[in-house]
Amino acid sequence: MLKMHNIRKSYRTDTIETHALRDFSLEVDEGEFVSVTGPSGSGKTTFLNIAGLLETPTGGEYRLDGEDVSNLNDRQRSRLRNEKIGFIFQGFNLIPDLNLFDNIDVPLRYRGFNAKERKKRIEKVLDQVGLSARAKHLPAQLSGGQQQRVAIARALAGEPRFLLADEPTGNLDSLMARQVMELLEFINEWGTTIVMVTHDPDLARRAHRNIQIVDGQVSDLHRATAPATAEIA
Amino acid sequence: MLELRPILSALWRHKVSALLIALQLGLTLAIVSNALVVIDERSERISRPTGLAVEDINSFSFLAIPEDYDKFEAFRLDLDMIRSLPGVASATISNHVPLSGSGSASGFYTEPNKETGGISANYYTVDEHFIDALGMKLTAGRGFSPEEVMQVGATSSERPTVAVVTQKFADEVFPEGNALGKAFFLGGDDHPIEVVGIVERNLGPWPNSSVAGRGVFYPAIMDQWFYYIVRAEPGQRDAVLKLVEEKLAERDPNRVINADTMEEQKAQQYASDNTMIKVLASVVILLTFIVALGIVGLTVFWITQRQKQIGVRRALGATRSAISRYFLLENLIIAVTGIALGAAAAQVFNGFLASEFNQPALPPIVTISCALFLLGVSLAAALVPALRAANISPATATRSV
Ligand SMILES: Nc1ncnc2c1ncn2[C@@H]1O[C@H](COP(=O)(O)OP(=O)(O)OP(=O)(O)O)[C@@H](O)[C@H]1O
Ligand SMILES: [Mg+2]
Repeated sequence: MLKMHNIRKSYRTDTIETHALRDFSLEVDEGEFVSVTGPSGSGKTTFLNIAGLLETPTGGEYRLDGEDVSNLNDRQRSRLRNEKIGFIFQGFNLIPDLNLFDNIDVPLRYRGFNAKERKKRIEKVLDQVGLSARAKHLPAQLSGGQQQRVAIARALAGEPRFLLADEPTGNLDSLMARQVMELLEFINEWGTTIVMVTHDPDLARRAHRNIQIVDGQVSDLHRATAPATAEIA
Repeated sequence: MLELRPILSALWRHKVSALLIALQLGLTLAIVSNALVVIDERSERISRPTGLAVEDINSFSFLAIPEDYDKFEAFRLDLDMIRSLPGVASATISNHVPLSGSGSASGFYTEPNKETGGISANYYTVDEHFIDALGMKLTAGRGFSPEEVMQVGATSSERPTVAVVTQKFADEVFPEGNALGKAFFLGGDDHPIEVVGIVERNLGPWPNSSVAGRGVFYPAIMDQWFYYIVRAEPGQRDAVLKLVEEKLAERDPNRVINADTMEEQKAQQYASDNTMIKVLASVVILLTFIVALGIVGLTVFWITQRQKQIGVRRALGATRSAISRYFLLENLIIAVTGIALGAAAAQVFNGFLASEFNQPALPPIVTISCALFLLGVSLAAALVPALRAANISPATATRSV
C-alpha cells in the first residue's frame, strides 16, 4: 500500500538546515493500522505529510498503491489526495464558516461529484459518526470530540483507501479520545489502511503495529500479535 | 465547478465587511458614472465648433490719452498699417471680440413696435472685412461693401439698414426659412433691418450662455467700443501679435495698447468647465484607486485570516486554481452586489443632479460601461492576492496551529 525507501527531507532556512527525515524506509500493507510514536521534533509529522502528499521529499522513493508518486505535479498530487487519502488533524481543522454538511461537502466538491451523490455520501458518513441531527450546526457549536468525529466523517466521505491521522486525540479528553479511537478501529475493520501519529501509549498499543521515529529514522519495528501485547520502546 | 452556495454561506458570516466593500464599490459607481456624464457634457461643450479661426486670431484695443483724440482717423491709419504687415491675413474692427466674455445683446423681432416675444441675440458692429478677419464662412447672400459701413459716434443717431446674421439666428428668428432678404426690428422700433447675408456660425462672446450662437453683424464702426481683430497667416499668430503691438505703439505713442490671443480668451471662457473636468477626473481616478486598494486590502486580510483553511482545503484535494477561483468568485459576488446597488444609486443620484443642478441625464450605456470597468478593477485588485493564496502550502494544515 505504502512503500517508502530512503526518503530524505530537509528544511533549509537562511542559517540552518534541518534534516527532518534521513534515509527513512517503511512499508505499510493494505488494511493495516499502524501507530507512529516518537519524541517531539523527531519527524513524525514530516513523515505523515510526505505520506499524504502534502509535502515533497528532498530525495528517495515513495510508492503509493503501487504508483511512484515522487515526481507528480501539483495537480496530480491534489487529485490523489482528494481520491485516495483522508486526513485527520489534531486541531480538527473544520472550516469555521461552514456548517457540518458543507464541511464534509468540501472534498466531495473538489472530486466533482454531482449534488445527489454528495448528499447521499454526506448523510451516510454523518450517520456513521452519529451526528446526523447536527448537519446544519456550525463547528463552534460542537464539542471537541464531536468536531473530530465530523473531521473523520469528512475524511471518510470520499471513501479513501488510506487514512492519515496526526495526533487525532491530542486535543481530546480520554473519554472522547477513546470514542475516536473506536471509530478509527471500526473504519479500519472495514478495510481502510490507517497510519496514526500519537503520543498516547495506550492508543499506540491498540494498533496492529507501532513504529517509532527517532531523529528522522524508524528506530524499531514491532509487529504486534495482539494490541494488548504490543511493545513500546 | 461553481461553488457558489458554500461561498455565499461563508460570506454571510462576514457580511459586514463584505457589505462595506460592496457599498464602497456601489458608491464609486454612482459617483463615477455621474462624473463621467458631466465630464462628457463639459468636454463636448468645449469642443463645440466656434465658427471662428480661433487659433490664428489676435485682438487689440487701445486707450487714447488725449481727450480730443480723433479715433476714426486712428482706426483708418491703424487698420491700413496692420493690413500691410507681413503675416497678417485680414483685419477688421468690431465693438466686441467673440469668445472674449465681453459683448452686447438685445431683443430682435420680425414685426415692428413689439416689446415682447422677441429673440435675444448678440450683435456686433464691424467693417467690410469682418467675415474674412474672423475666419467665418458666408453660406448665403453677401457681406458688406465699404460704402455701407457707417461711422457711429457718441451722438450720431444713424441706424443700419442691412445686417449679416448667423445661421442659428436665421433659423430661430425666421423658422419658416429663407431669412435672406427678410427684415427684422429692434424692440419697440419700426426701423426695418434687412438680412443680406448669412454666416455659418459664430458662438459669440459668451459660449455658455443661452444666447450663444445667435449673432447679428451691422456695417458700422463705433468709437465708444472698438477692437482690432487680426487674423494671421497659419502659424504666424504669435509673431503677428508682437509685431502689431509694436507697430501700433510706434505709429502713435499717445495711447496704451492691449493685446490678446483669441485662444487665451476662449480658454478663459471655458476655465470653469476645464476646472470642473479636472476636478471630476481626479475624483474618478482617486475613487477608483481607493476602491481598488480597499479590495486588495480586504482580500489580503481574508486570505491571511483563512491561511489555515486554505491549507486544509489543499490537503483535502483543492488544486491551486481552485483556491484562486474561490477568492475571485467571492470577490465577484461582492462586486456584483455592490455594482447592482451602485447602478440603482447612480440613477437616483442622477435624478437629483438633473432636477437640482440641471445636469444631463445618465444614459444606461455609461452606467453599464462604468459597471464593467469597476468589475474589471475589482477582479484585477483581487487577482494578485488570489493567485498568491494558491501558493499556501497544503502542509499548513498540519504545521500551523
Ligand atoms: N517548515 C519547516 N521549516 C524548518 N524546519 C521544519 C519545518 N517543519 C518541520 N521542521 C523541523 O523538522 C523536524 C521534524 O519536525 P516534525 O514536525 O516532523 O516533528 P514531530 O515529530 O511531528 O514533532 P511533534 O511531536 O512535536 O509534533 C523538527 O526539527 C522541526 O523543527
Ligand atoms: Mg507533529
